[in-house]
Amino acid sequence: MTAAPAAQVGDAMTALARTVSQDQVIAYAEASGDHNPIHLDPEFARGVGLPGTIVHGFLEMAILTEAVARWAGGFERVAELGCRFSKPLLPGETLTCAGRVVAVDPVSGALTLQLEATSSRGERVLTNGRAVVRPDH
Amino acid sequence: MPDPSHAGRRYAAPGQRIGPERVAAYASAVSGGEQPFSPGSVPPAFAAVYCVQPALAEIFADPDLGLELAGLIHVEQSFEWPAPVHPGDVVDAAAEIISVETRRGLTFVTVGLEATNQAGATVCRGRTLLLTRGAVR
Repeated sequence: MTAAPAAQVGDAMTALARTVSQDQVIAYAEASGDHNPIHLDPEFARGVGLPGTIVHGFLEMAILTEAVARWAGGFERVAELGCRFSKPLLPGETLTCAGRVVAVDPVSGALTLQLEATSSRGERVLTNGRAVVRPDH
Repeated sequence: MPDPSHAGRRYAAPGQRIGPERVAAYASAVSGGEQPFSPGSVPPAFAAVYCVQPALAEIFADPDLGLELAGLIHVEQSFEWPAPVHPGDVVDAAAEIISVETRRGLTFVTVGLEATNQAGATVCRGRTLLLTRGAVR
């Protein structure tokens, strides 16, 4: 039922692409309680040297985590995940999350994935991504 | 300004309720209008809300540390989820300053995070790397 149990080193994770709108950023700010004006106020964002408002890094990370969970067959399969917030994602852009299996634990069956997320402008938004997927039992 | 002497400082943000409505609003914001993945479960990245944000709020409120939100950049984030979080759980979040390093006028602060549920189980461990440009010179 899931791709992961038979996964081998080199297998690609199913990519997930999601366009993030400013409305979505506002909804994320409300739901998360992170009201930093760099995400909400274009004038403020420009005042600190950004091209405009930027998407919350934690929203990007949530989409990356969802990509792993969809491929692995459930949120409960995701044991670890980390990344570097390298470049901002701007509202209206599409974030594409990709990854591949780089290790399979011969005893437990746990998978290690290398991950990256790029923007529709071609910027590497999330780099040094890494996740560990629990075996399906 | 944070300095290396602040390593080892600990902060507590107990009593973070995993409200089902808030989880639903969060999942909806992450999905951006699509059907949320695995509705009703707590997405792992919701740790940003129940662990990282409340713990960092305590850190920002420490006048002796003097870490300010203005000019702060979130460089890296990693999580481990040893046990699942369920709607209705009440989680105690805690943080520790792992290290403070200054290089070429930039100050890097590494924060260790942990969240424990009402049964005493660790549900999340995390590490946050922050970069501050420091005071105006």
